[in-house]
Amino acid sequence: MDGKGGRGITYGQVGDFIDLACRAFMGGVAAALLFAMAALVLTISSAQAATVSLNDPKTGALLFRTGAAGQYELAPKVETDVAIQVSGLIARTRVTQLFHNPGGEYVEGIYVFPLPEKAAVDQLKMQIGERVIEGVIQEKEEARKTYEKAKTEGRKAALVEQQRPNLFTNSVAHIGPNEMVRISIEYQQTLAYESGEYRLRFPLAVTPRYLPKSSDPAKEGMPDEPKAIEAVFIQHPQYMPVCDDTVNPVDIAVIIDAGVPLGRVESSYHDTVIEKRSGGSVMVSLVKDQEEADRDFELVWSVVPGSAPQAALFTENVAGAEYALLMVTPPQPAASEKALLDRFARETVLIVDTSGSMAGVSIEQAKSALLYALGTFSANDRFNVVEFNSIMRPLFADALPATAENLKAATQWVKALRATGGTEMAPALTFALNGRDTPGYLRQVIFMTDGGVSNEDELFRLIAQRLGSTRLFTIGIGSAPNSHFMTKAAQFGRGTFTYIGDVREVESKMAGLFAKIEAPVLKDVQLRWSDGSPVETFPARVPDLYLGEPIVVSAALDRSASRTIVVSAMRGNQPWSVALTPSADSSASGVGALWARAKIATLMDALRTDGNAPDIRAQVVKVALEHHLVSAYTSLVAVDVTPTHVDGKLRKALVKANLPKGTQVGQIPQTGTSAALQLLVGLLAIGAAALFASAARASRQARA
Amino acid sequence: MKRSLLWGIALLLAVLGGWQVASAAWIHTKAAAAQTLIAWSWGEAHDGGISRRPWPGADTRPIARLIVPSQGIELYVLADASARALAFGPAHVSGTARPGSWGNVVIVGHRDTHFAFLRDISPDAEILLESSKAAPARYRVREITVVDKSETRMMDPADAAELTLITCYPFDAIAPGTPLRYVVIAERVA
Repeated sequence: MDGKGGRGITYGQVGDFIDLACRAFMGGVAAALLFAMAALVLTISSAQAATVSLNDPKTGALLFRTGAAGQYELAPKVETDVAIQVSGLIARTRVTQLFHNPGGEYVEGIYVFPLPEKAAVDQLKMQIGERVIEGVIQEKEEARKTYEKAKTEGRKAALVEQQRPNLFTNSVAHIGPNEMVRISIEYQQTLAYESGEYRLRFPLAVTPRYLPKSSDPAKEGMPDEPKAIEAVFIQHPQYMPVCDDTVNPVDIAVIIDAGVPLGRVESSYHDTVIEKRSGGSVMVSLVKDQEEADRDFELVWSVVPGSAPQAALFTENVAGAEYALLMVTPPQPAASEKALLDRFARETVLIVDTSGSMAGVSIEQAKSALLYALGTFSANDRFNVVEFNSIMRPLFADALPATAENLKAATQWVKALRATGGTEMAPALTFALNGRDTPGYLRQVIFMTDGGVSNEDELFRLIAQRLGSTRLFTIGIGSAPNSHFMTKAAQFGRGTFTYIGDVREVESKMAGLFAKIEAPVLKDVQLRWSDGSPVETFPARVPDLYLGEPIVVSAALDRSASRTIVVSAMRGNQPWSVALTPSADSSASGVGALWARAKIATLMDALRTDGNAPDIRAQVVKVALEHHLVSAYTSLVAVDVTPTHVDGKLRKALVKANLPKGTQVGQIPQTGTSAALQLLVGLLAIGAAALFASAARASRQARA
Repeated sequence: MKRSLLWGIALLLAVLGGWQVASAAWIHTKAAAAQTLIAWSWGEAHDGGISRRPWPGADTRPIARLIVPSQGIELYVLADASARALAFGPAHVSGTARPGSWGNVVIVGHRDTHFAFLRDISPDAEILLESSKAAPARYRVREITVVDKSETRMMDPADAAELTLITCYPFDAIAPGTPLRYVVIAERVA
C-alpha cells in the first residue's frame, strides 16, 4: 500500500522491495487462509462443544432446573429401599418406594424405573399408615380403568405397568399434602453364574435426557397418558430428572444364603459393609452417604472351591402344577482330559459379509477380526474363508490344513476384500454348513455380518436343518448390527453371539471368543424324562457348554408318571449323563414365576418373528394371570377402599426417572451427511483461490 | 516463477473448492433423484407385486412409504439402514418391527436431506406408513425427544405398535458425526 515506487530509491531497491511486498502479501494470504481454516475449525468445534456440554449429565441437569424453582417442590420425593434375598440360584428382590409429597396439594406420583431384563414382577403392596393393600393382577387396559376409576373417586391407588421388557412405571394417585405412601413391588430373577462366580445386578444408572430447543417449555397442560413420560419432560422441564442422588436416595441390602460356604463377596462399584451371619449366610449393605447415581449396583461372589453344586433341581407347586428350575454345572476336566481337549483339532470356516452395507469402518473391523482368527490356527487345524455379497466366494474349495503357506494365501485374500453388492447369506451358510462331519475335528463356523437381511426366518430354518454337529458363532459388526437376527442365528446354531462395536475392541473380543470356544465341555445337551420323552424347557434349546458355564432351564413337571429328568450330553467323545429327581427339600419359592417369565419371553420372541398378535397375546395373558406376573399385557393394581380425597382435584407430578443405559448393543445410526461441511470447505477454498489469483495479478502488475 | 506458483495454488484451490461444492450438491441431487426412481419401482411393486431394484446395481429396495400430510411429505423408506442406503432415502433399521407389523418400527434418515422436515413436525402430527402388504397404518406423534446416540433402547422392541423416526441432532450442525439424536415417537391410532 505504501509507495512501492518511492522517490530516491534505486531500481534494484524497488525490485527488492517488490520481493518483500510479495512475501508480505503471501504472508497475508497465508494468514488469511489460516484464519479461514481456524474459523472453520472453530465453527465445527463450537457446534460440537454446544452438544458436548449438553452431553454432560451435571450441566444438562442444571440447565433444566433453572427458572422453575418455585414449582419444583411439588414433585414428590421417592426414597427407594431395595432388599434382596438370594437363595441358591434365585434372587427375590423387594423394591420399596416411599413417596413423600412435601407440597400443599394432592398429587399423583409417576415413577419410571428400570429392572433387570428377566425380572418376573409378581407382587405389589401399597401401605398407607398401618393399612396394607395387596395389588391384584389384571389385563393392562382393565387395570388402567380400575386405577382411573379409583382416581376419579378420590381413592388412593397404585398401578405398576411394563413399558418395555426392562422398563416399568409405578403410578400413585392422591398423595396428600406432607403425606407418605409406601409402595413395594417384588420380583424374581435367576442369577448369572459363570466360572464359579455368581453375579447380581440392580440397575441404578441415570441417563440424562435432553430437550430439543424448539419445544416450548411454557406450554400448559399435562398429558393424560402416564406413558408419555418424555412428553411430560418436554412440557414441564422442572420435572426433568435431577442427577443428584440426594433427592431420591437408594438403600440396598442383600442377604446371600448360598446353602454352601461362601468364598469371596465383592461389590463391583460401591462401598459396602459385608457381615457374616449365623447359618453361613452373609449380609451386604451399602455404606451410607455415598454418591451412587451413575452406575448400577453389582455384587459378585463365589463359593468355596469344590463346594459348588454340580447339579441342582428346585421345584415349586403353584395352583396344582409343579415347576422346576434346573442347573447343571459340567464337571471341570481333569488334567489328563484337559491335555486331550487341548489337542482337539478344529476345522473353522470363517464367513464374512462383504455386501454394500458393510462398506467403510465395518469391513475394516471384519478384516482385522478375520486376520486375528487366522493368527490363532495351529498346524493341525483346518480352515477356510468365505465371503458373500450378491454372490458367494470361498477361498478354498474345501477346508485345508492351516499350513504357513495356506495362511499366507488367506491373509492376502482377506486384505484384498472389498464391500459391495447385495446380501445373499443363504448360499454362504449352505456352503459352510455342508452337513459333513470331519472325523477328529471340532467343526465351527464363525459368521461375521451386520445382519442386514429380510429373510430371517428362512435363514433360521436353513441353520437348524443343516447344522449337524457343526456349531455356528455369530459376530456382529458395525454401529448398529441386527442383534436380534444374530442372537437368534447363534441360538439355532447352538453357539454364541459376540458384538464388536469398535476396531479397538477387535482383539479383546476375538481373544475372549476363541479362548472360550477352543473346546466345549459338553455337547449335544438333551433333557428327557426318565421314560425317554423330551422335556419342554425354556429356553427351548440348550447350547453347548464351554468351560465354567452352567445349564439353567425352567420346565413344567406337570406329569405324575415320571418326575425324573435325565440330562445327557457328550463330554469329549464320551457320553455323559446325570439324572435329577426332585426331593422333599428341593422346594424353592419363585420357581413357578421364573418358569412363567421364561415362557412369556419365548412367546414375545415368537411375536417378533411370526407375529400372530391376538393368539400370542391370549397365551401371554393366560400365563401372566395364572402366575400373577406383570407383562406387556398385564399390570398390577392396588386400590384403597376408603376415599381420602373427595374433591378429586389432582396434580400430576413426575418423579426422577432412573432410565437405563442402552441395553442393546451398538448405537443409533449416524444420519448427517457431509454436504454442509463440504459446501463450507468448498466455498472457503474458492475464496482462497480468489485471493491467490489476485495475489498473482498483483505480482504481475508489480513486475510489469 | 512466483506468479505461476501463485496461479497454480489458486487453480488448485479453485478445483478443490469446486469439487467440494459439487460433492455437496451431488449429495442433495442423489437424495432427490433416488426418491423419484424409487417411486417408479414402488409403483411397479404395488401393481405387479414384485419389489424391483429401483436402478440397476442398487443394493437396496423400498419397503414402505412414509407420508406426513400436514407437511406434504412423501418419502420412500428403504430396507436396511446402512450409510449407503441412507444416501437415497430414509431406511428401516433391520431387526426392529417391519412396517405393517406390530411392535416398534424404527426408521432413520439424514437430518439435512430427507428427515430435515422433522425439525418442524408438530407434537400431534399424523404420520401414515404404507407397506406393500398391509393396509396403511396411521400413527400420531406422542413424544419428541433428543437422546445420546448410545441410547439404543429407543430401538428396543415395544409392546405397543409404535413408529420411531430418528435423525441426527442438532439439525444445523456443520460437520457430520454429532453425538445426539432427535427422536420422534408416534403411536398407532388405526
